Amino acid sequence: MHIVDGALSNPVVIGGAVAAASGIALGLRSLDIDRLPTAGVLSASFFVASLIHVPIGPSSIHLILNGMAGLLLGWAAFPALFVGLLLQAVFFGFGGLTVLGINTVNIALPAVVASVLFGRLIARGTPLQGAIWGGVGGAFAIAATTGMVAVSLALSGDEFLPAAKLVFFTHIPVMAIEAVLTGFAVLLARKVKPELFVKGVTT
Amino acid sequence: MKHLVLILALCCAPLPALAHKVIAGVFKSGDAIEGEIGFSNGDMASETEVIVTGPNGAELGRVVTDTDGFFVYTPNSAIAHTFSADLGAGHVAQVTMSTENVAQILGEAASETLKSSPDVKVQATGSVASLSHEEQQVIAKAVRDELRPLRREIAAYRERNDLQTILGGIGYIVGLFGLGFYMAARRKLAA
Repeated sequence: MHIVDGALSNPVVIGGAVAAASGIALGLRSLDIDRLPTAGVLSASFFVASLIHVPIGPSSIHLILNGMAGLLLGWAAFPALFVGLLLQAVFFGFGGLTVLGINTVNIALPAVVASVLFGRLIARGTPLQGAIWGGVGGAFAIAATTGMVAVSLALSGDEFLPAAKLVFFTHIPVMAIEAVLTGFAVLLARKVKPELFVKGVTT
Repeated sequence: MKHLVLILALCCAPLPALAHKVIAGVFKSGDAIEGEIGFSNGDMASETEVIVTGPNGAELGRVVTDTDGFFVYTPNSAIAHTFSADLGAGHVAQVTMSTENVAQILGEAASETLKSSPDVKVQATGSVASLSHEEQQVIAKAVRDELRPLRREIAAYRERNDLQTILGGIGYIVGLFGLGFYMAARRKLAA
């Protein structure tokens, strides 16, 4: 999920940085004082989630949690995930500083799209219905991220289809796990703190 | 449904793990450069083409890694050698050996050929303490083989993330969002 330094061509890196900067600016504007703690907690969960490896078959994968961040934060997912990615790059060497922009876009944009597509559906109906849509949103965000990663690799000269297939298939387990996780998180939040989503949709 | 899951599982199986970090290292190995490329989770990059380039970007040669992710390259000129390999899906390994180290390798190679003749002379006089060139080579190879797992362990150790690092990162996040709070509160007070 983290593209490393030197894997992408310069136009893609610069384009990613510009897109990330505008996304962060938009996100910061929508980030009011009431949602700051949510953003902080999700940023920290994103930062730590990448360290929890789930061994599946011969390989191991890690959670990304961008779907959950997007559903809870909307555009504010951009700054939250950017902070997480920045610290991952600095502390663990995941990704890199030059590709920070494109990585932010690849992970945060699907999160925002998930919140636009599924935000209303989650806030509506019974908590269980909301949870199911939350699960769909969580899986969608990962799938969209794999697509974005493949596109950025394709724009840098890699063959699109093999790259897309590789990233997509290795992340099928992640999608399943995140769908369940996001679903349960939404279920819990709808029961104990329903205004979290209703508010997230209206602002 | 079961079949579909099985098919998908099989699709995933042969793919390399999309680990986060590519590790690559080069070491002096007698008169050659020995290198290792793999992922931080221990999966090595087997049968991957490594492109060797000079400081000006000119290609010096290509080598292919073995099943353990090892490759051996014999340098010809004392310039910095850059080894790069594309592991697919956005993973690129790149590692450079400096001019001094390459020169040292070449110097060793040159001195070894010079040394070999006096060695033979000593043997002929019946000295038991000295070792022939072949024996030296065998010992050097044995030592290298013994050191290889250690080297790998050190590389893995360097990639380890301990609790302090994680807590430090979380601390930064808390601090950053605390700063955000401060700014938001000031804006609210001013308004």
